[in-house]
Amino acid sequence: MSALPWGRRFLMCPPEHFGVLYEINPWMHREVTVDLDRAREQWGDLVATLVEAGAEVELLEPQPGLPDLVFTANAGTVNRGRYVPSRFRHPYRQPEVAFDVAWFDGHGYDVVELPEGVGHEGAGDALPFGHAFLSGYKSRSDAAAHGPLSTLLGAPVRPIELVDDRLYHLDLTFCPLDDRRVMVAPHAWDRYGCKVVEALVPEPLVLSDDEMLAFCANSVVVGSTVVMASCPPPVGRQLEAWGFDVAVVGVDEFQKAGGGCRCLTLALDVATPAGAGPRPSTETAAAR
Amino acid sequence: MTASEVVEVDGHIIDSLILAKVLDVILDAGGDYRILEVDIGRTSVDPSRARLEVTALDEDALAALLAELQIHGANRVDQADAAVEPAEVDGVLPAGFYATTNLPTQVRRGGHWVDVDNPEMDCALVILPDGRVRTAPMHRVRAGDPVVVGRTGVRVQALERPRGATPFEFMNSEVSSEKPKEQLVARVADRIKAAKATGGKVLAVCGPAVVHTGAAPDVAALVRAGIIDVLFAGNGFATHDIESNVLGTSLGVPLGDGLPPEGGHSNHLRVINEVRRRGSIAAAVRDGYIAGGVMYECVQHGVPFVLGGSVRDDGPLPDVFTDVVEAADAMRAQLPGVAVALMLASTLHAIATGNVLPAGVETYCVDINQAVVTKLADRGSHQALGIVTDVGLFLSTLAAHLL
Repeated sequence: MSALPWGRRFLMCPPEHFGVLYEINPWMHREVTVDLDRAREQWGDLVATLVEAGAEVELLEPQPGLPDLVFTANAGTVNRGRYVPSRFRHPYRQPEVAFDVAWFDGHGYDVVELPEGVGHEGAGDALPFGHAFLSGYKSRSDAAAHGPLSTLLGAPVRPIELVDDRLYHLDLTFCPLDDRRVMVAPHAWDRYGCKVVEALVPEPLVLSDDEMLAFCANSVVVGSTVVMASCPPPVGRQLEAWGFDVAVVGVDEFQKAGGGCRCLTLALDVATPAGAGPRPSTETAAAR
Repeated sequence: MTASEVVEVDGHIIDSLILAKVLDVILDAGGDYRILEVDIGRTSVDPSRARLEVTALDEDALAALLAELQIHGANRVDQADAAVEPAEVDGVLPAGFYATTNLPTQVRRGGHWVDVDNPEMDCALVILPDGRVRTAPMHRVRAGDPVVVGRTGVRVQALERPRGATPFEFMNSEVSSEKPKEQLVARVADRIKAAKATGGKVLAVCGPAVVHTGAAPDVAALVRAGIIDVLFAGNGFATHDIESNVLGTSLGVPLGDGLPPEGGHSNHLRVINEVRRRGSIAAAVRDGYIAGGVMYECVQHGVPFVLGGSVRDDGPLPDVFTDVVEAADAMRAQLPGVAVALMLASTLHAIATGNVLPAGVETYCVDINQAVVTKLADRGSHQALGIVTDVGLFLSTLAAHLL
């Protein structure tokens, strides 16, 4: 097996204006106060850990009034130098897009947009694995976005229905570790989605409910380092057995808004292999 | 009528099991689907696309199902509402008006399919103030009536063939004089019984040959027994029916011995004259001038009849509509509830009736002349089953089965 071909260059946004100012997922409660100093510290630790693991970090300038800009995973979807901006479901986050687009435009990316009327929340809902993207839908992204997204990204996009409100983005349920292994939270998917992932992932690390709610699947993988918000012992043992180093970075200030390590980063170096990959096992097609 | 809509789903719908899921969602909701088109990507990179016709029990169930399907990326194929233009002048349709068929028809208004109230061929579709849609013959349209123009937003449904052994199976074959008649008549009798059992009405359209062949007493008996509910005919049939009952002749020829008496050629004129003297067929029945026959039974049993006139009519009888437009409207007024139509040895009235009948009415066209039967079908009444035989023979056999 070989390490993930992406995850060495990330876009991040300092939490200068972070806070829980509205409630758009079950984790958010406006009465909970964010300790901004602590958030800054945790974010700084995450940057340092990623850099130490061998990654580069690019910075997006924070904007007042856009507390969730810090969650760059939702800025859009990147593949082979192409950037597809998100179309947010909630009006609170829609103004973020202009700043995201400006950054990618200024950094030489080919910016291509989804058609009007279909929502998709970027890498938060679309993660590459092998030659394809897996993409969550229903809570935030629309199933209808997958066709156009696939065309724009030049790669197959396989929609998976998310059925647990608490796990509202795919990146809370699916975390590719290398070319064969993925941390998965099947409880968050419908039975068709489970079949699709089962056919796609040779060696899954299946997370329990508690593990998935501890943001285990929202980890960032840099080569053989897995950067996690917390690491329950069973998960840690399996990762170590597979030869990964685990780095735990507390990001609980951000978890108040429903985001973990992965949500705070956007991989800029995703490049799925061009051309047709294998179809998932034939069993999948016959699964009906 | 069930409600249906075309949806499309695309992307990597095969490998991601989205298509399988969409089909399951439809069935789980008690709906049904027909795959209209599937375009499967050649490789795993190429997207696939499927177009499905989704059917649900009614509009509400369909709306709920479509909302559910939309979540999985299956979206209604964009369909526009029907275009509507007001009629500028009474009796004149906007150019480009939609010309109807006699099939069940729906019109899309405000994103919903609305059933057309009374399917009829060669009419226009008029939107009523309450949102319903009706067919209207040209002459009935009034200035300002909103009329459907173009074909967008209009759809017709092919008739479902009744399941099981029915005379309709014969419709798939050519009209032929070489069919076992006895069996065919027995099946028509069964269909009439079935229609009556569910409250359907039976319409008889009679030509003068019904009287000439001596079958009028059979028709009278069917009226008396409550089997025939509506009668359409012309001046000729009614006149000969009355003549044969009052004077014992049909067009001057005695039905008994067939030997023409002197002056018999004017018998029908004398009969018409006497009915005219009384003001109506009903009045002639009431004062005892007409004491039997089909028209007599209609009056006695309150069976409505419409007599349509023609240029060559003698008299005519006072009940005959001499304005063809009024005649057609009077016929239309009698159609609601009609489930079976018997076209009995009548060319012109059969075609006139065929023009106003919805395609859902089982129609049996009985004539000794194959051309009549073919003509009816050629003029768009594809639901008509032709039975080429002597009408007298047909009616006596039918009456024997039903009475």
